[in-house]
Amino acid sequence: MKTTRTIFQDGDHKWVAIVRDPERKGHLIDTNEYLVTHGGQGLLLDPGGAEIFPAVFSALSAEFDPSALAGIFASHQDPDICSSLALWLEFNPQMHCYVSWLWRSFIPHFGGSADTFVAMPDAGMTIALGGLSLTAVPAHYLHSSGNLHLYDAQARMFFSGDVGAALLPPGEDGLFVEDFDAHIRHAEAFHRRWMGSNEAKRSWCERVAKMDIDMLCPQHGAVYQGADVERFINWFDALPVGVVGS
Amino acid sequence: MGTLPAGTERPGRASATMPLALTGPAPQAGLDLLRIVRINEEIKSVVGVAFRINIMALNAIFLAKRAGTAARGFGVLSNELRTFSQNLRDCMGELSGLVDACVGEVSVVLRDIRHTRLLRQAVAASSWAGGAAVLAARQAESERHLQRLTARRKALRRALDDAFRMVELGGVLAKSAKIEAAYGQSFAASLAQVSGEFDGVVEEIRKSLEALRRSDFFGRH
Repeated sequence: MKTTRTIFQDGDHKWVAIVRDPERKGHLIDTNEYLVTHGGQGLLLDPGGAEIFPAVFSALSAEFDPSALAGIFASHQDPDICSSLALWLEFNPQMHCYVSWLWRSFIPHFGGSADTFVAMPDAGMTIALGGLSLTAVPAHYLHSSGNLHLYDAQARMFFSGDVGAALLPPGEDGLFVEDFDAHIRHAEAFHRRWMGSNEAKRSWCERVAKMDIDMLCPQHGAVYQGADVERFINWFDALPVGVVGS
Repeated sequence: MGTLPAGTERPGRASATMPLALTGPAPQAGLDLLRIVRINEEIKSVVGVAFRINIMALNAIFLAKRAGTAARGFGVLSNELRTFSQNLRDCMGELSGLVDACVGEVSVVLRDIRHTRLLRQAVAASSWAGGAAVLAARQAESERHLQRLTARRKALRRALDDAFRMVELGGVLAKSAKIEAAYGQSFAASLAQVSGEFDGVVEEIRKSLEALRRSDFFGRH
């Protein structure tokens, strides 16, 4: 089963990372899920695929009442992002799923009704969670054509979807980046291939560099914290992307 | 405000292995899907043959008219065969609709089984008290889908039985036409050929329907 790690806490305002399942089947890519809680409500960021639902659910429910989940934030449309949607809705059919307007009619193939989905505009939007304001930040073409990240200005936490992702080998899969130079080798090929637009990447780097961020939390791999956040943004800015091969 | 980089580690409960229905309903539903897909393919081929019968019945009518009084009996039978072929076409349309519905229901049941398996694993590994109620609601929904599939399965079986009886009647008509063809004087050879072909095709359909009625899709339910 997965492990939960509280990576930010201020009263009932929390960011909980749900990570690293030692029983995960090898043919499924490892994913990180994040739970943001505030005022008794929870928002689950990229809840993961259907096959890992039992591992994510059991870890989450040890921390938080799953029926109090107010919503799911889907950074984009991939199956490892939210193919578990129908299963989460079993616990709270009134739950909303925030998703780019581009995928508004695609993601319902994973489940949900017409009332489930909140279409986020390209410019992003504010998402209210138990009195807390979260910001959906545009990250289009990084890698999906309709892609959004989530910023919590109060906690200075940034959920970056596939940006910052690294495919870590066994034994080097700590939750936090400890040696940036060693870590980023595992991220380079992924970003070159998966990120499709240098223009979009530049725009994202400019936007995110202006934000106060203590932790940058990707959907795969390790969390960047402190000076590694800026280090990552600069590295990404300089990396040519949209490239097949090395 | 505090950031906890080291984190507070709380592993989820170890996976409580509970008896999952991995050898039960999922393979059964998978087999059902294969069986109903095969039935669907067979019915599609029978529909094609039924269309041929329609053309053959028309030919028989034209031939009987050309033969005139020499083939009066054959003419009556060819009209009956034409009616039979139209009824057969309608019957095949109904069967196709029922098979489509069965394919849909089996697919829903397959989805339910995967859904329930994942929910059951999640609830078993979690200490959250509300899990049992959610699982019970899911199982009740799955049960409703199973009952719907059972009803569709019975309706398809009944429709196949009806079609089989109709085709047996068609076989009797075809054999009578073969007898009447013998009285067709100079047209006897042509009439015999047409009625023989008709009989052969009806027999082909009868065998197909007989095999479909014996499908394991209808067994053990």
